[in-house]
Amino acid sequence: MSRVFVCRDVVELITAYLEGELPADVREAVETHLSGCDGCTMVLEEFRRTIELTGRLDDDAVSAEQRETLRGAFRDWATA
Amino acid sequence: MELVEKLTPSMRRVARMFVSSDATADDVVGEAWLGVLQGIDGYEGRASLRTWIFRILVNIAKTRGQKESRSVPFATLAGDDLEQPTFDPTAFDTTGHWSTLPFDWRGLPEDRVTAGETLAVIRRTIDDLPPLQAEVIRLHDVLGWSSEEVRNALEITDTNQRVLLHRARAKVRAAVEEHLGSVSA
Repeated sequence: MSRVFVCRDVVELITAYLEGELPADVREAVETHLSGCDGCTMVLEEFRRTIELTGRLDDDAVSAEQRETLRGAFRDWATA
Repeated sequence: MELVEKLTPSMRRVARMFVSSDATADDVVGEAWLGVLQGIDGYEGRASLRTWIFRILVNIAKTRGQKESRSVPFATLAGDDLEQPTFDPTAFDTTGHWSTLPFDWRGLPEDRVTAGETLAVIRRTIDDLPPLQAEVIRLHDVLGWSSEEVRNALEITDTNQRVLLHRARAKVRAAVEEHLGSVSA
């Protein structure tokens, strides 16, 4: 018997779907749903876009104190 | 040194999950890098280098946390909402289909979507997530680590990794939607 998903199920599977982590039958059922559902297709595209936007962020910089702590640690190692 | 610059900010945040102060977290990061230098000959390449470095870090941070008698429940780190649906249940009718669709921001002008303000909203939203959700999305989507690297580095199961990532992304998507909906209204 093939699976049938409703929107409420599909939105919870989007990350697993995008990461290619769904078993084949579940993936197929998600794709069947998406092909007939504009709402879920929109949310999927917005997830993709959100991921792309998140990828534009920079990570925090290393602070001056932190750099000092690390320098100390490396110095200890070099002189040990 | 490039690797040190690159990994230290996330190492510090991960250490901070287990220990009680920023200063102790800095210490833990220093100790971890020392451990890396001393142990690098034993690195067998079975995990990626950055995953291996994080394993060393997490071990040291956990030990330090235990010494401080600080025990942080998983739910505090991961968020206590993991069992809840990610989307507002009232958006769906009783059959589970959309009753209220989210705001469609796909057609907005590109420069509005990618404006610095949108990125600031994303950053703030991530900063406000429970620490483990925040770190999973940072490592995976900001720094581009694979799911496997993230789960090994943070010592979480693949299910937890996926759930945490999905929840984090859903909150970021919702925040972007709210932001773009308000500026285009």
